Amino acid sequence: MIARLRARQQALLDHPIVRLELRRIHRKRWWPGRRFFTFYPALVGAGLGYGIVLAVSDSPGVQIAAVVTGVPAVCLLTVCAGLLAFTLPWIAPALTAVSIVHEREVGTLDLLRATLLTERSIVLGKLGGCLARMWPGILTLVLLTPFRLVWIGGAGWSVYLPTVAELVEQPISTAQILWLCLAGLAGTLKPFVDLVLHAAVGLFVSMLARSSGVAVAVSYGAVIVVRVSLWLMRYLLNVVPMIRRAMIDTSEFALGDVGMVPALTSSGMVVVELVGAAVLVWGGIWWLKRA
Amino acid sequence: MMPHEAQERTVIETKGLTKRYGGLTAVDELDLVVQKGAVFGFVGPNGAGKTTTMRILATLLRPTAGEAWVAGHSVVAERRDVRRAVGYMPDFFGVYGDMKVWEYLDFFAACYDVPADTRRRLADDLLELVDLVHRREDYVDALSRGMKQRLCLARALAHDPHVLILDEPASGLDPRARVEIRELLRELQDMGKTIFVSSHILSEIQEVCTHIGIIEEGRLVAAGTMEEMRRRIQAQRVVNLGLIKQGAGEPSSQRTVEEAQVWLAGRPDVLEVGPVAANGEGDLQLTFAGDDQALAQLLSDMVGAGFPVVTFHERTGDLEDVFMRLTKGVVS
Repeated sequence: MIARLRARQQALLDHPIVRLELRRIHRKRWWPGRRFFTFYPALVGAGLGYGIVLAVSDSPGVQIAAVVTGVPAVCLLTVCAGLLAFTLPWIAPALTAVSIVHEREVGTLDLLRATLLTERSIVLGKLGGCLARMWPGILTLVLLTPFRLVWIGGAGWSVYLPTVAELVEQPISTAQILWLCLAGLAGTLKPFVDLVLHAAVGLFVSMLARSSGVAVAVSYGAVIVVRVSLWLMRYLLNVVPMIRRAMIDTSEFALGDVGMVPALTSSGMVVVELVGAAVLVWGGIWWLKRA
Repeated sequence: MMPHEAQERTVIETKGLTKRYGGLTAVDELDLVVQKGAVFGFVGPNGAGKTTTMRILATLLRPTAGEAWVAGHSVVAERRDVRRAVGYMPDFFGVYGDMKVWEYLDFFAACYDVPADTRRRLADDLLELVDLVHRREDYVDALSRGMKQRLCLARALAHDPHVLILDEPASGLDPRARVEIRELLRELQDMGKTIFVSSHILSEIQEVCTHIGIIEEGRLVAAGTMEEMRRRIQAQRVVNLGLIKQGAGEPSSQRTVEEAQVWLAGRPDVLEVGPVAANGEGDLQLTFAGDDQALAQLLSDMVGAGFPVVTFHERTGDLEDVFMRLTKGVVS
């Protein structure tokens, strides 16, 4: 089993198109490299240290000192993580938008298509390769996810703010906690799913475009359109139940239902984005086969 | 599968192959047969449909109508089998400039499912074949055009195909590089590969070809072995003849070139007669239909009629003439 998985992983890393994309980062040394890996444990250690000091110490002075230094540090990391989660998906189209059209421009696409690589293999390899090129950013985001959870948690709870008054009177139900976990999971996955969706948009445009410049411009335009429509969809899904709730008698409304709507919309969005990305990639494969 | 009795002998076959781009018909009902071990020269002016045909055979394009088989596999239904059998080199190809020469071959070998442990050895063998071993560690961008062409040919050989489809392998090369490509083609033929090679310049490939097919406006206007094609020239021989020039003040006792032209045009075995092209020898060029006897008779008749013939020689026909005669130059 493990041997098979390992062989599969080796085959994936040995995929010629993935290697083709990855060779571009071997040659460009912009990534801090191993330094990051000594920096990160120090960061997490410091964060944990503050928590321990806060929990263990009896002295109010030490506690205050820990809060004064620890809270801004965690806040700073949270903001950094949030910014990275927002910006990282926007880098992807720049890589994927040129991936296929550039091959066509320089005349290597035909060479690839004449080999035993299938169209599916070429398109998925390009997608995987472009995402793999972003591994430093993706890894950073994964490592900063604990700090992002602070933010997601805050945002998650803020959805419940209208019901704070009710919270005082009623304890939180198990259902509510589950909904919150679902919302948290969706929030954690969202930047990664965004990344895949944006990459897929770029890849699809790359398949149709005639020149790299046009491909990049059109990709970013398309990503903006996709984002705005997804945001609108999400807004409507959130707002309609809110209006409904406002119009009926609040006292009859169970708390569990309140948590359900934002949890379902945010996780629903993740699913919609994934399906959209899959459709785009499939469309790209079909287009390449059709030639 | 190919509906052909001599299936093992036929490597490439097309039946009514047609490709249309909107209103433009690039390949029109093309019927083509290439035998095993042949070096088939596919010749035609620019835009005649050579590249389209080759792209269809390399499974990169789908034909609008008709069928084509390579190594017994349909180019539409069994693309993967065709790709396994074919090494394709397009006329316009790019290289990954930031790869080293051996990396480039290694990459394409990987694309052809060559296992990683044999790739290194394979790259070295291929580089030796195309004489690029000394550039092994260089970046592809640093190679000259001729070298890139050879590298691309080596790339097409990465999976040891038995059919090679080479689209204008010698275009844009200097004479030396052309000779090198030609030598390479010979070597590949000796290795038993069937080679389907295109060119818009016939003389470029006629030395290596065993078969020639001439295409114009998407139609095959002539095809056959080199022998057959040469015989076509023999049936119509081209003769250059020259008369003694008259000085300005000399008495015009001798008959003139104009008179000779009229006289020749009246003979039934002379198909065509006209002044020689600017850089040709002699005064008149005639196309003659007849054997050696008839040609000797023509000369003696001319002398008998009082024409001062000083040069009379048959142009050893090269295939360029067939090409020029068969193609109307409509596309170019």
